[in-house]
Amino acid sequence: MSIESPAKNWLHAPTGTERAWIGLALLWCIVLTLAMPYWHFKGKQNSTGEAYTVEPTRFADRVQQFVDSNKVGEVNGTPIAEPPPGGDAYLQAQMWRFYPVLQFKKGQTYRLHISSLDIQHGFAVLPINMNFQVLPGYDHVLTITPTMAGEFPILCNEFCGIGHHQMTGRIIVTE
Amino acid sequence: MTKEEKSGDLIEKESEHRGDGLHHAPGTFTLTLILLVSFVVYYFANWKALADVWHVR
Amino acid sequence: MTTLDPTVEGALPETEAAGRGNHPPGTFRVCATTGLTVDLAAEKFIKINAVFAVVFLLLGGIAALLLALTRWSAVHLLNAEWYYRMTTFHGLNMLILWILFMEIGILYFAATALLKSRLASVKAGWAGFACMAVGAIMLDAVILAGKADVMMTSYVPLRAHPTFYLAIILVAVGTLIGVINFLATVYIAKRDKTYSGSVPLVVFGAITAAIIAVSTLLHGAGIMIPTFLWSIDVIDHVDPAAYRLVWWGLGHQSQQVNVAAMVSVWYLLGTLTVGAKVLNQGVSRTAFLLYILFINLASAHHLLVDPGVSAGWKIWNTSYAMYLAVLASMIHGYTVPAAVEVALRKQGHTKGLFGWLGAAPWKNPGFSGFFLSLLIFGFIGGITGVTLGTEQINIIAHNTLRIPGHFHATVVGGTSLAFMALAYYVVPLIFRREFPLRWMCRAQPYVFAAGIVLMSLGMSFAGSYGVSRRSWDVEASGALHPVSYDPSVHVWLGVLGIGGSLAFVGLLMFVVPTVLAVFFGKRVEAKMPAW
Repeated sequence: MSIESPAKNWLHAPTGTERAWIGLALLWCIVLTLAMPYWHFKGKQNSTGEAYTVEPTRFADRVQQFVDSNKVGEVNGTPIAEPPPGGDAYLQAQMWRFYPVLQFKKGQTYRLHISSLDIQHGFAVLPINMNFQVLPGYDHVLTITPTMAGEFPILCNEFCGIGHHQMTGRIIVTE
Repeated sequence: MTKEEKSGDLIEKESEHRGDGLHHAPGTFTLTLILLVSFVVYYFANWKALADVWHVR
Repeated sequence: MTTLDPTVEGALPETEAAGRGNHPPGTFRVCATTGLTVDLAAEKFIKINAVFAVVFLLLGGIAALLLALTRWSAVHLLNAEWYYRMTTFHGLNMLILWILFMEIGILYFAATALLKSRLASVKAGWAGFACMAVGAIMLDAVILAGKADVMMTSYVPLRAHPTFYLAIILVAVGTLIGVINFLATVYIAKRDKTYSGSVPLVVFGAITAAIIAVSTLLHGAGIMIPTFLWSIDVIDHVDPAAYRLVWWGLGHQSQQVNVAAMVSVWYLLGTLTVGAKVLNQGVSRTAFLLYILFINLASAHHLLVDPGVSAGWKIWNTSYAMYLAVLASMIHGYTVPAAVEVALRKQGHTKGLFGWLGAAPWKNPGFSGFFLSLLIFGFIGGITGVTLGTEQINIIAHNTLRIPGHFHATVVGGTSLAFMALAYYVVPLIFRREFPLRWMCRAQPYVFAAGIVLMSLGMSFAGSYGVSRRSWDVEASGALHPVSYDPSVHVWLGVLGIGGSLAFVGLLMFVVPTVLAVFFGKRVEAKMPAW
């Protein structure tokens, strides 16, 4: 009875199928626990949270510097910047745009710095569906390797005011 | 408890509480096994989906 | 059994005194159906909290319908401003107000009726209720006035009107007073020896919920007070990363309060509907204990792709140390239906593996609601939750529609449905009113569950294509850089819309008979009519 005090000495080890289920569930919990450190060392997709504090205005300066020295074109009025393979790329999030458009080479690795100039934003790469959080005051560094070529829309997925759904950008990956 | 009180809304006496002996619940055990199998399939399908996206550290 | 004569004064014989706990004469009645003593003061609070809960459920439900009809691309009902406003409104009314008012009612019931105790303090009861009610009304008013379009999470430095933060603080303080009043009641019941041995399992679960609630509400105060001061320019900066960490100590833990309360309700309804007995008190109680010990680590689930948190920290926390709170839920997921199975087998339904399940009282909405809640919580909510909360898998889930797809299966298909099922007993037993429209009550859990399952699947599939969870316009028309998805996304958003609308019908099928019963229902004079 769940609504009455139990008889005295109610502490017993589980038996039968209950015991079997608890054992199975515990085993599964151990698998779940080990999967994450395994992937951390062996997997190719990890969010390590590498980040540095940065003043939003300082970050905006770095972004502009990056665009000035790596600009390779322009799309819809937004400059396209292509960092050297292995180099640093900067992406600035603000209400309600991403700046600049980034161009990467497939299979090359980049250190992508993302931060916000105003409030919290999200960084989602479509249609492959990768998502990261973007905070003002934090330079979030993703060491990223695009594995396919094409044009990838990026989208803010953290609510950031009335223009939230129109906050988009683009990453171009060339062969 | 009297026989006519078989249906739902009744509260048994504490003295009827038979303690925590062996019980027989094969249906529930089967249900939980189905749950575990669905869990395993869904979980690893998600790892597979993750393995297909860009590399990131 | 009839109500004890409230005019009897003076000491009762020893045995009778034990039967009525520590209630002073004239302050309680004995329930004709269950034999439980019902403290009249507590009963008043249970009623008033339940009424407020249902009002906020209805408000949140109307917002839910509007949102579902907006995300359904073919309908796209609201404009952007009202879509975001209603998202804020829906989240707070459902996740905070409906659930907290209901839970205070459940706590008061568990401590008084199940422990044969009077309520520790009637004054504290009123104070807590007043804080919650005033806070709740302020909260809804400031959101509807358009001064707080910040979502339930209100991540800094996005700023709402100070009233918004103050209102949340008031609701939290009121709830905290209620929870402390509950714990004090448990204490005086123990002191006055109103029960012998250990507390009943349902009370144990309620104590679990209360302990997690205290921790939750302290986190809430810890972040909402500085944020309120920031909103009135007393302090000039609240760190956004620190805000997220502490806020989720409120946001996620409060959902774990729901889990503990819901599991307690499962055990309670198992007993009320089929006379289920706890199979192993030690196992069930240990599982509750695991919730207390490990569940507050779960706020890490929301920070898995955040800057500044290390892999080690995330793995430890997101796994609740070692998935021990998940283990707890998997244990309850066995013990609750197994108790039902054993009870039904004992009543003669022994055919095959699932003969007992076929013979279960599926026409009793208290049973069907409870069992559907168990299935939806386990099969959809639980499995998706653990998977999405895995450190690395979160990369393909964070802030997409997969997240609400998960938590609508836990909090709505699980907790809300269990609370609705409970109401089918609360109204006849506490309000002592009969339900009219009994056919509607019988069908309600099925309609609601079907709607929520459809909606949850629609969200989950749309989200797996990367559809953002709080976007007014999936296609981002007019944006500088166009966005396009797999076209099947719109099919799934349609499923979301249809499921959400169906769930709203199910919600009305709950609210209408409940309101009619409470205000116009036939009085239950003796035993409650069996479902």
